[in-house]
Amino acid sequence: MNKRKTAFLNWETFLLGILVMEFVVFGVKNSKFLMPRVLLASVNDFIAICFIALFVTFVMITGGIDIQAASIVGLTSIIIGVGWQDGGMNIWLAAALAVAAAAVCGALSGFFIAYCGVQAMVVTLGGSFLYAGFALLVSNFSATEAYQGISGFPDSFKVISKFKLFDVIPSQLLVFLVLIVIAYILLHKTKYGRSIFLVGINQEAAEYSGVNTRLVILSTYVLSAVSAALAGIMLTSYLGTAKSDLGANLTLNIITAVVLGGTLSTGGKGSVLGTALASLVIGILRFGLPLCFKVNTQYLDIPVGILLLVVVIGRAVVSRPGTLAFLHKLKRR
Amino acid sequence: MNYIKKLTKAREASSLFFLIFLFVIVGCINTSFLTASNIVACFNDSVVFTLLAVGMAFVIFIGEIDVSVGANLGFTASVVGSLLRDGHSLVFSFGAGILIGALIGLINGWGVAVLNIPSLIFTLGTNGVLRGLIYVYTDGAWVENLPAAFTAFASRPLAGGVTVYYSVSIAAIIVIHILLTRTKKGKYFIAVGDNAGGATLVGIPTGRTKIAAYVLCGVFAALASILYASRIGFITAIAGNGYEMKAIAACVIGGISLSGGLGSVIGASVGAVIMSSVSRILVFMGFSSDYDNTITGIMLITIVVLDALMQRHAAERIRRERLLARSSKMSEEKEGN
Repeated sequence: MNKRKTAFLNWETFLLGILVMEFVVFGVKNSKFLMPRVLLASVNDFIAICFIALFVTFVMITGGIDIQAASIVGLTSIIIGVGWQDGGMNIWLAAALAVAAAAVCGALSGFFIAYCGVQAMVVTLGGSFLYAGFALLVSNFSATEAYQGISGFPDSFKVISKFKLFDVIPSQLLVFLVLIVIAYILLHKTKYGRSIFLVGINQEAAEYSGVNTRLVILSTYVLSAVSAALAGIMLTSYLGTAKSDLGANLTLNIITAVVLGGTLSTGGKGSVLGTALASLVIGILRFGLPLCFKVNTQYLDIPVGILLLVVVIGRAVVSRPGTLAFLHKLKRR
Repeated sequence: MNYIKKLTKAREASSLFFLIFLFVIVGCINTSFLTASNIVACFNDSVVFTLLAVGMAFVIFIGEIDVSVGANLGFTASVVGSLLRDGHSLVFSFGAGILIGALIGLINGWGVAVLNIPSLIFTLGTNGVLRGLIYVYTDGAWVENLPAAFTAFASRPLAGGVTVYYSVSIAAIIVIHILLTRTKKGKYFIAVGDNAGGATLVGIPTGRTKIAAYVLCGVFAALASILYASRIGFITAIAGNGYEMKAIAACVIGGISLSGGLGSVIGASVGAVIMSSVSRILVFMGFSSDYDNTITGIMLITIVVLDALMQRHAAERIRRERLLARSSKMSEEKEGN
């Protein structure tokens, strides 16, 4: 047990090492990268990945998967826009409505997965269609053309992404830190968190030991949907426009962050800190490559995809019996 | 009589009935939908999805998934299109495309079957890499100016307005269906998906079957990409975006169980027609095609949920029957004593 714990720690230190290496490589290549103003402004580009990946970790620990979160980002964004501009709502009421709508979406998918026993992949695949479709429908209620996006939000709303602590640390990072703490306590320090792991390891055993496994599974999808809603609010506030296709193409990054963070895609293992570090690794990669190596932003799916493949292949190769025996032999020598 | 009973019980039959039902309903609302030319067009337009869905069906048969087919289609279409544009021969361009598709399938199959990586995760990774490679290969520019003969061939009818592409595809699918249901090797796919452990025990090469399924899926994606290039006439950098989801949805609607081991390629092709007709149906019913995604999502979720509930119900009934039989046997024995 102790050995496993150190191995676990090692993975997170390893991620931290990669993160530091990224800083060094990008910093050496282009000193502009290390300017605090530039570096801290970059979080806007990938904060959505960080928020959502934290809670998709919960889903994946139960053995499920969530590929609908990206479409919920757009849905919340457009609900805020339409609710505020065309519904005449207070902006905060609109934001609260958006979070509630996201929670309902998550609960709906979670219900089908947990209580009807449909594979998580299919339901969230259907969900990604459905909620992206809902977002389009909602945008039809607006007087503004869909491609323009709804803008002109009040300053009090914009300030949630413009606020800086001590004039340096952007509010996004603060919210991210708060979310990490919440997720960490939920997953690693509470009974609820233990039951999430238990469900992922063996759902039947969990059921027999008195865990309401279905409710636990459902709740993880609600959590990931709510985190997607928070990401949607943050992005809408930062961009100043509400669009229905916000957050499209995030799926690959989210799943990569969770898997890179050490979560087993078959469930039962994972950590909040790992995911948090991994999402930063991906975010910095997406920020640094275009800035320092002139990589076209449209190519960025390649490094992220390769990263995902390398991690899963590496893990598969290491855990094969042949490789284990080989490593053992090396050690003996 | 027995044959008819078997036919109506088949899973693909229910999706065929659904297709007919859908067309009749839309026809009742807007009679101009039910003209011969329009219905033929529904089938003709589905040819790209049909090929994708049939390829996907192999992967789903074995109980896995492949979300890289959309990017595979986009990438191979770019390569084939640019080769044709630069004046290479049809055989060479098509051969290169099919080879690339097979190679992508081989990589996916290797990751899933040899390394035992969950298929969704692995193919999501290859999807990202391929999407990026399209930009690298084309520099984000459209592949245009394909030879006129190549694009014109897409609309050439064979008989009764049905295009050559669609009729050849359907003929091929029927042959594949017969091979899958009548030959020993064809049955491997379903057997592996139904019970991989059992299949291994009776001597079926499980790993090789899985790899074969992925290679076939890649080849079908490449074939679909050729037809895509021919039908559309130009290839953008986002060609095939989201097609993987529609191909999976087509398979599910066509009665293929995502847990593997159930369904047929005929079902997949029927599902593809339903999927690709959604936007046309919406237009005929006077809705904006903005509803396309919503309808697709609702159909997909409804069908899988119904399927899961029905399967659970059936399993429950069988269990109850078994218990009843056992308890009656026991009481009989008691009386005998």
